[in-house]
Amino acid sequence: MRPERSLSPARLWAFGLWLALFLTPLAAGRFTVYILGVILVTGLLAMSLNLLVGHGGAYQFHHGAFYGVGAYTAALLITKTSLPAWVGLAAGPAAAAAAGLLIGSLCIRLNKLYFGMIQISLGSLLWILALRWYDLTNGDDGIHGIPLPEILSGSGPTFTFILLVVGVCLLGMHRILESPFGTTLRAIRDNPQRCAAVGINVRRHQLAAIGIAAFFAGVAGVLFVVLEGSVFPDMLFWVLSLEIFIMCLLGGWFTFFGPMVGAAIIVLLRTVVGGYTEYWTLILGVVLILLIFFLPEGLMGVGHRLRVYRHRAAGAPSRGADRAAG
Amino acid sequence: MKSGRFISRALLGVLAAALAVAGINGRAEARNIKVGIVDTYSGPPAVFGNDALNGFKMALEEINRQGVLGGRIEFVTRDDKFKVDIGLNMAKELALKENVDVIVGVVNSGVALAVSDAVAKKEKLPFFTWMAKSANITGKAGHRYVFSTTENTAMATKAAATVLARKPYKRIWVAGDDYEYGHALDDSFTHSLKQLQPEVEFIGRTWWKLGEPDLVPYFTSIQAAKPDLVHFCTGGASMANVLKTIQATGLHRNTAIYIHTAIDYAVLKPLGLNAPEGVMGTMDYLFYYPELSSNQKFVKDFQARYKTPPGFPAYHAWMTAQFIAEGFRKAGKIDREAFIDAVEGLKVDSPVGKVEMRACDHQAVLPILFGTTRISQEHRAAVATDILTLRGAEVMPTCEEVLGARK
Amino acid sequence: MEAAPSLASFLSQLLVGLSRAMILFIVASGLSFILGVLRVPNVAHGSLYMIGAFAAHSIATALGGHPAGFWAAMAGAPLIVGAVSLAAERLLFRHLYEREHLMLLLFTFGLALILGDLTKMTWGADYRSIVPPPALQGSLDVLGTALPRYNLFLLLVGPAVALALWAVSTKTRFGKIARAAAVDREMVGAIGINVSWVFAWAFVLGCVLAGLGGALVSPTISVTLGMDHTIIIEAFLIVTIGGLGNIGGALVGSLLFGVTQSLGVLVLPQFAIVFPYLAVVLILTFKPTGLLRSVW
Repeated sequence: MRPERSLSPARLWAFGLWLALFLTPLAAGRFTVYILGVILVTGLLAMSLNLLVGHGGAYQFHHGAFYGVGAYTAALLITKTSLPAWVGLAAGPAAAAAAGLLIGSLCIRLNKLYFGMIQISLGSLLWILALRWYDLTNGDDGIHGIPLPEILSGSGPTFTFILLVVGVCLLGMHRILESPFGTTLRAIRDNPQRCAAVGINVRRHQLAAIGIAAFFAGVAGVLFVVLEGSVFPDMLFWVLSLEIFIMCLLGGWFTFFGPMVGAAIIVLLRTVVGGYTEYWTLILGVVLILLIFFLPEGLMGVGHRLRVYRHRAAGAPSRGADRAAG
Repeated sequence: MKSGRFISRALLGVLAAALAVAGINGRAEARNIKVGIVDTYSGPPAVFGNDALNGFKMALEEINRQGVLGGRIEFVTRDDKFKVDIGLNMAKELALKENVDVIVGVVNSGVALAVSDAVAKKEKLPFFTWMAKSANITGKAGHRYVFSTTENTAMATKAAATVLARKPYKRIWVAGDDYEYGHALDDSFTHSLKQLQPEVEFIGRTWWKLGEPDLVPYFTSIQAAKPDLVHFCTGGASMANVLKTIQATGLHRNTAIYIHTAIDYAVLKPLGLNAPEGVMGTMDYLFYYPELSSNQKFVKDFQARYKTPPGFPAYHAWMTAQFIAEGFRKAGKIDREAFIDAVEGLKVDSPVGKVEMRACDHQAVLPILFGTTRISQEHRAAVATDILTLRGAEVMPTCEEVLGARK
Repeated sequence: MEAAPSLASFLSQLLVGLSRAMILFIVASGLSFILGVLRVPNVAHGSLYMIGAFAAHSIATALGGHPAGFWAAMAGAPLIVGAVSLAAERLLFRHLYEREHLMLLLFTFGLALILGDLTKMTWGADYRSIVPPPALQGSLDVLGTALPRYNLFLLLVGPAVALALWAVSTKTRFGKIARAAAVDREMVGAIGINVSWVFAWAFVLGCVLAGLGGALVSPTISVTLGMDHTIIIEAFLIVTIGGLGNIGGALVGSLLFGVTQSLGVLVLPQFAIVFPYLAVVLILTFKPTGLLRSVW
């Protein structure tokens, strides 16, 4: 079904919010601006994962690897070569997409947990590379103080740049998901056998999706460099990948903006609650379990379901192939 | 008579109170100094974070009794979970939202380097690392806003090399945790020892991944090579694994062994009487040596509060508190730049004597103690014996060397 | 690297590798059992291993370092872990078995976060260490190399556990039902067996193995927070290359990991860290569902 071109209220709200965010550096304190930046970058990463998990049904267990590849590519090109910084920033997502296609081509032959485990292994090999190639990467000390273009100096311009790039990426992801490709992806998620039977090349679609998701993860990695001026091997460690998985679950993985909401919750939990108690991971664990028991579709998922019900009540057909989790 | 004295006393009292109020009003800017602590309070390194926090709290009790610039020193803590990104989040929150005057802490060298650059340097906020031992912090990556109140890999291994160069060890094997700390220890020890004793030969190297549970396979291959000395580059939780494996394989019976921080009580205490004897190690603080009355008082106070003797993190943190208090007192106002100028070259009291903050590189000049483990029935654990003290000036790189490396 | 390894050092290294494989097997077999019978990818398995180690330390310390304390710890710690897991199963897990694997994985991750912090609240952050009884201290001279007695002890325990596990799953009624339930849950329920309790005990059995692994490993390492992270990824890699849910596969995977890593140390020490991951990539590339038959 072609999506309606007109601006639905939800889209209008999202667009308005995005525009309003441009004003925050003028109105809010610098820490608020910084944390919004962290949320946007982490949220972009989680949304890129959700392209595969929520919409593609893939066991993408080590998505953080592509985030790391993007960030390290940018950091290394900027600090080790004389190329302009913009080249480094642009090369990050490209390298991440390439890594995605390479790793993806080994993963897509496998099913579910096996897919996930081979990906963890391949991603961990990249992690070891970042950890062990001291001369290039400084090992686990990481690379700090990465010089950036003059125009990005200061928290205001950094935030504006991040907001701009994230906005463009979200638009791109939305377009992809509403394209025939996105529809096919969801069909594969729901019934791969039937898709194969009607002549869809399942693996090629999945591989393309991994490449696209890795590209956006690479963009998030580059934005991390812009925000923090640092890279370090933890970015490629499997624990981070599990954390972004949780963000998708928290926000709701059958919704578009869910992972961004999930990222916001986790970042705020860690910085705000982390200021009061060192046991914030315990709180996160409890929230996670409560969510799985009572709201398996995530926070946004509930809102979405309510809207669908209202639509149905009003006689409108529900859009999208959203299914209940579990 | 009586009432007259009462009136005069009352008048005096009122006068004194008025003066006090005037004093407070006259120093309207007098406020508390706020210190932000970013450190690791979860996972294996939490043992360091907690010890340091205890030392810092104890120091503040005494400092605040006297006050600093008419106010107190207060603090807030943040757990970095030993992760760089969380450490950055926390440090930025302390700098931008909590508006702290000084940031201190950090076990993880990666966090220290990241915070040093992204927060201390960019926000022009003084930052003291009291645990992270990368020599780069005040070396290559040093700058005006970062200070170190701990020894570092370069100092410790230079001290060890100075002692070991005089001994008849020629064939040396290096083994350790495969991460930055391990390699930094190896690099600087190898460099220093070769300089002092060109005849030594490094016959092999073994690296295992951090957290490797079973080290026996690595040890059997080391034993087969029959080296004179093994330099283990390890620390933290894996230190205990190394010491246990030394004890289990008996490596220490026919091979000399040097490990930085092997004589740390926090490491040796859990092993009890089952720790290997004769292992050589280096530290910048031992609660039982030297037996100065100031040190004994420090240990007694600490033990009364926290039921355990202070480790080196507690000592570093205690000393850091002194630098902060004395620095602000000397500066005479709560001003970051004036504070830094004041701390440069400042000497403060510590339980084991005066410690100077070297002006050129902001590295505290700490002596290094070199000792050998021996079981002590009194402590029900191994402790260091035959302790040699190497002065800070002997083991630190010169100002020229540091400033040269920064270029 | 410097000299070609002699036959003696090769053999002693092999023995050491085998003893390492035993701990891995005990932990991984528990994980694999739960994967096979309950289809739960239990990320909290590593936390139970950590709790096993801490509990073993507490029991051994409570008995004042007496040799009997060690044996009491080896027996008591797995029981404590078993009790924790029984509670978790009855209160939480049993409501979730029908959920998607991904949901279960995230659920157990949440549980791992909670157990990690609870461990810290209960035992604190200090390093702990258990002393093995005198009979297991020191080393024996095997082929000219000093092999720790404790490692030789593990070489006896590992096969005993494997044998016991095999006996339970093939010779007992519980084992047969559990294996049948792994293949077809509805059918077992339909013939009037209370599957719920079979699942509960299967879960407890798997978790007890994690606790036993933690207790057994505690004399060789320092017991600290964060032990859960290092073991869980290794255990998952092992059960994956062996074939998910296949206990024999867990044994094969553990041997492969333990032995190849210790021999790798002898030949190419700098690549020892890469090996486990490389092994998974290679094996799954050629055998997409692991070496042995998987129930998944």
